[in-house]
This record gives sequence, C-alpha cells and structure tokens, in this order.
Amino acid sequence: MSRAPLSRACAALLRRDLVLAWRQRGDIALPVLYALIVATLFPFALGPDLALLQRIAGGVVLLTVLLAMLLALDGLFRGDLEDGSLEQLVLSPQPLAPMLGMKILAHWLTTALPLIVIAPLLASLLHLPAAAMPALLLALLLATPLVSLLGAVLVALTAGTRRSGMLLALMLLPLCVPVMIFAAGALAAAQQGLPWTAPIAWLGAALALAVVLAPLACAAALRIALDA
Amino acid sequence: MSTWIPLWLHRLGSPPTFYAFAGRLRPWAIGLALLLGIVALYGGLVLAPPDRYQGDDYRIIFIHVPSAWMSLFIYAVMGVASFVALVWRIKLAEVVAMESAPVGAAFTFITLATGSLWGERMWGTWWTWDARLTSELVLLFLYLGVIGLYHAFEDRRQGARAAGFLAIVGVVNVPIVHFSVKWWNTLHQGSTVNLFGQSHIAGDMLWPLLTMMLATKCYYVASLCGRARADLLALEGGKDWVRRIAAGEAR
Repeated sequence: MSRAPLSRACAALLRRDLVLAWRQRGDIALPVLYALIVATLFPFALGPDLALLQRIAGGVVLLTVLLAMLLALDGLFRGDLEDGSLEQLVLSPQPLAPMLGMKILAHWLTTALPLIVIAPLLASLLHLPAAAMPALLLALLLATPLVSLLGAVLVALTAGTRRSGMLLALMLLPLCVPVMIFAAGALAAAQQGLPWTAPIAWLGAALALAVVLAPLACAAALRIALDA
Repeated sequence: MSTWIPLWLHRLGSPPTFYAFAGRLRPWAIGLALLLGIVALYGGLVLAPPDRYQGDDYRIIFIHVPSAWMSLFIYAVMGVASFVALVWRIKLAEVVAMESAPVGAAFTFITLATGSLWGERMWGTWWTWDARLTSELVLLFLYLGVIGLYHAFEDRRQGARAAGFLAIVGVVNVPIVHFSVKWWNTLHQGSTVNLFGQSHIAGDMLWPLLTMMLATKCYYVASLCGRARADLLALEGGKDWVRRIAAGEAR
C-alpha cells in the first residue's frame, strides 16, 4: 500500500478540523463569551476601585483565558471519539504524533486565538495600563499553546472515561503552575516598568520543548486510553 | 554475578508469589515501624535538647521532615513502578504504583498540616505562598489527579496504565514546578540535613530524625504490602490461587 506524504496528510487533517469548526461557528464564540462574562464579574465581586482593578487586571485576564481554554479542551477529541474517526486516525499508516499535533493546532486556532483577540478588550475593561498590553499579548501567545499542548496529553488520557470534565481540571491545573508563574511574572514586570523579556523567554523555551514532546506524549496517552 | 537474584525477582513478579511474600513481610515491617517510631519519638520529644531560638516548638520537625521526605520518595517509587508497568506491562508494577499513591498523598497531607502548625508558631501564619509550601501543595494535587484518573476507568488495568502515564508526566513536572516557584517567592529555610556534605543540625537532633525516616519507610512498606495484597485479590478474582485462598478462609 502506498501512503501519502506526511505533509499532505497533515494539511488534509488540519483542513478537515478547521472546516468542521467553521461549520459550527457558534461553538467558537462560546469560550469567548465565557471569558467576557467571567472578566466582567470580577469588578462586581471586588468593587470598581480603579487602583485595585489595575493591579489585578493582568492576572484576571490570564486566569480567565486559562479557564475558558480548560472548558474548551474537554471537547478536543470528543466528536472524533464518538464517530470513531479517532480510532481510524490511530490505525492509519501515518505516524500518530504529527497528526495529533495538527489536531492540537486546529484546536488552538479555533479556541485560543479568538481568546487572544479579545484579551485586549478584557484587559481594558479592567483598566490594564496600555504599557503592559504588549507583554500581555506576547505572554498569551506563548502560554496558550503551552496549555493546549499540556491539556491535549491529559485529554488523551481521559479519552476512555465518561466523566472527564472535573478530572481534567484537577490534572491540568498543577501542570499549569509554571506557565502561570512566568506569564504573570512578565505582566507584573511590565506593569512596574521593568524589563520583562526573561520570563517571556522562559515561556518560549518551554513552548519549544512542548511542541516536540507533547504530541509524542499525547500519542502514547491516546494509545493507552483507547487500548480496551 | 549469581543468577538467583534476577530469578527471584522474576518469580516475585507473579501475583500469588508476591501475595505470599507480602503476607510474610508485612508483620515484620509493621513491628519495625512501631519500634523505630517509638524510639525516634522518645529521642526527639524527650532526649533531644530544646532549640536555642525555637524552644520546644521545633520538635514538630521529627514528624514534618520525615513525612516530606516520604512524600517525594513515594512519588519517585510510583514513577519508577509506572515506568516499569508501561514498558514491560507487569501487573504487579501497576498495583505497586497505584497502591502507593494514597499512602504518598497521606504523607504529603501530613507534611502540609504539620508545616502549617509549625508556621503558625514560627512565622505567625498558617499558610504562606512560599516556594516549598506551594510545590508540596502541587505535589498533593498531582497525587489526587493520579488517584482520580485511576478510579475514572472501569477497567482497572487500563486505569492503572493511564494514571501511571500521568505520574510520569508529573515526575517531569515536579522539578519544573519546584524551580519556577523558587524563582517566584521564597521564605522557607533551605535544607538542613544534607546527604553529601555538612549537615547543619546537632547530633542529638539528627539521630531521632533519621530513625523516624526509617520508621516511615517501614510503615510505607507495610502499608503497601497490605494494600497490594487486597488489590491483587480483587484484580485476580476469578483465578485459581485466589479461589484456593478463599476456600482456605472459608474453612
């Protein structure tokens, strides 16, 4: 059996996932709305004090985006698992890890990218100083793929179980601690007018590592979870 | 190198052999744990002199530090056992990894609870977002995640493999968390007892600490033996050797 080149298979899978997401455009809006609502609830809970909101704005936006991604991650493999196409992907002659990498990329493009686009809006709702905005966007650009990659490994592990939502939070949040620390560190430094490239560089290093390792781990985890 | 050690280890991997071996080992481990624990507590609470700055409050160290060591040690055991289980698919390794998790979580909880009591006396606060405290808390969450994932599967062996994979991911993550939170915020003192090089602790205080460490190790072995035996019986429910044991119990 001759098999198609890997790049063609990757492109086909990416296109398929993006088309599927586009056909259900409403689902793309849901994490965005969720993040918007959570961010607007913070001033109600803490009071509309400008100085306080300015201080916490960066952290609130990071946390809101993380939680919205956590909710969306649950659906990463669900549709494919239910109609059996995930098993076909595992059985296909192409190596599984790059295929899953493409699925993660498609998922990041459809859930995290809209969140990054509205992040400046969320931040200005909470009066984040404009000087910290580049740091926020850069931190989100590096932190959200990291969360997607780490989350995908865990979602793959829970693919064989029925109640996975809360479990995913329990497993993912400890793994996100370093991501959170460095992203928030960059923001805090930017808000105080200090140089903030070091934590961003750490995030970039972690992302480089995760891009290589996470799809492999995800493939191994998926084989374990589907091996019934 | 004689061949009986690998051979013996190979045999020990079979559930009925391990069941009998753990049954014989367990009473000894419990006895040794109790004995060493009592000696260590007597040495730590009665014989050791009060600390110059902390008075008698420091004596909680004899529970706190051995528990903290055990929380990391058991995680390491769990990681190694999970690795063995995933690579060679040894049933016993899965059982050891999954039955270690609750014991390790208990030790982590004890570390956090005693640390918070100690912190209240010394730092004037029950909890602070310090590097070591935070990484210990993350360790507790990792343990809980492993336990939760194990129980989420209907098939126990599949659950053990998935949770074992999570444990290995955690092994990679624990140092990263540790160094990132250290960079973030530090209040806790550095290590006092060093395996290599000079320890900054008086001999009168060191020996009860090390004895307690041995006691907690023995307790872990005893607890693991008991838990693994129960788990093996449940896992191997329909097999002949379990039926023979059940028939023996009934008679």
